Amino acid sequence: MIQNFISISGYGIFVWLSFFITFLACAIIYYKTFKTLKKYEKEFAKELNNLSEKERKLVLEKSKIASQVLASYNKSV
Amino acid sequence: MFALINPSRVFYWIEKLINFINSVFFILLIIALTFALILSPPDYLQGDNVRIMYVHVPSAWIGLASFTCIALLSILNFIFKLKNLNLITKSIAPIGLMFTCLAIVTGSLWGQPTWGTWWVWDARITSMTILSIFYILFIVSHKFIENEDKANKLSNIIAIVGLVNIPVIKYSVDWWNTLHQPSSINLNGPNHIHSSMLVPLMLMLLVLLLYCALIFLMKYKTEIIRIKKKNIKRI
Repeated sequence: MIQNFISISGYGIFVWLSFFITFLACAIIYYKTFKTLKKYEKEFAKELNNLSEKERKLVLEKSKIASQVLASYNKSV
Repeated sequence: MFALINPSRVFYWIEKLINFINSVFFILLIIALTFALILSPPDYLQGDNVRIMYVHVPSAWIGLASFTCIALLSILNFIFKLKNLNLITKSIAPIGLMFTCLAIVTGSLWGQPTWGTWWVWDARITSMTILSIFYILFIVSHKFIENEDKANKLSNIIAIVGLVNIPVIKYSVDWWNTLHQPSSINLNGPNHIHSSMLVPLMLMLLVLLLYCALIFLMKYKTEIIRIKKKNIKRI
C-alpha cells in the first residue's frame, strides 16, 4: 500500500517532484522574506536607539509604526 | 477611500493578519494535501498524473491574478500618484514571478508523461513565459534603478504594457490550435470538472492564496519599515 502511494501508478517521480519543487520554492521565499523583515526591524530599532532620548520619545509618540516595530523587535529579541 | 490603505492605519492589522494566517496555515495545508494526494480519484484519461494539476493550476491562476493586480494598481498610480501603491505592487511582484515559474515548471513535469515532451512552443506556454519576462523586467527596474521615482515610473509602464499579455494567455487555447487543453473551469459557464477533483483544487488554491497573503504582508511591512527608517528624523 505504501509502495503504491509512493509510486502513484508510475507517475510518482513527476507528481512528487511537482509538489516538492512547489513547497521548496515557497519555503525559500518565506525564509528570505522573514529574514529581510527581521533585518529591517533590527536596523530600524538600532537607528531609533541612536537618537537622543528626547528625539526618540518624540518619534515614538508621533509614529505608531515606530512604536510597533520597536515592540515587535523587542519581542523577537 | 485611499486613506484606508495608509501604512499607519494598516500596520497594526498586518501584524494581526500574519499571526492569524500562521495559526491556520498548516492545518489547511494538511487537509488540502490529503485531498490532493490521497482522497481525490485518478482521471479517466490522465490517470494519477492529474494530481500535478493541484499545484499547476492554482500557481498559474495566482501568476495571472498577481500581474493583473499589479497592472491595475499601476494604472491607478498613474492617475492618482499614490506612493503607497508602489509599495503594494513592489511587494506583489516576487510572489507573482515565483508562481508563474512554478506553473511553467510543474506544467513541464505534467507534459512529459502526457504529451511525451518537456517543452513545446505552444501558445499558452509561450505567453506564460512572456509573462515571467514582464515580471523579471518589473523587479529588475526596482532593483537596478537608484532613483525611486524613475524606477516606479518605468515599472508602472512595464506593468501596463504587460497587461496586454493577460487576455492573450487566457484565450490562447481558444484562439490558436494548441497542445494545451482548454479551461475546465469557467466562471460564466458550465464546469467540466467533477466535484471530487474540484474540492482538492479549491483547497490547494486557498492554501496557496493564504501563503501569498502571508508573503505579501511580510514584504509590505518590510517596505513600510524601509521608508520609515529612511525618514526617521522627519517623523
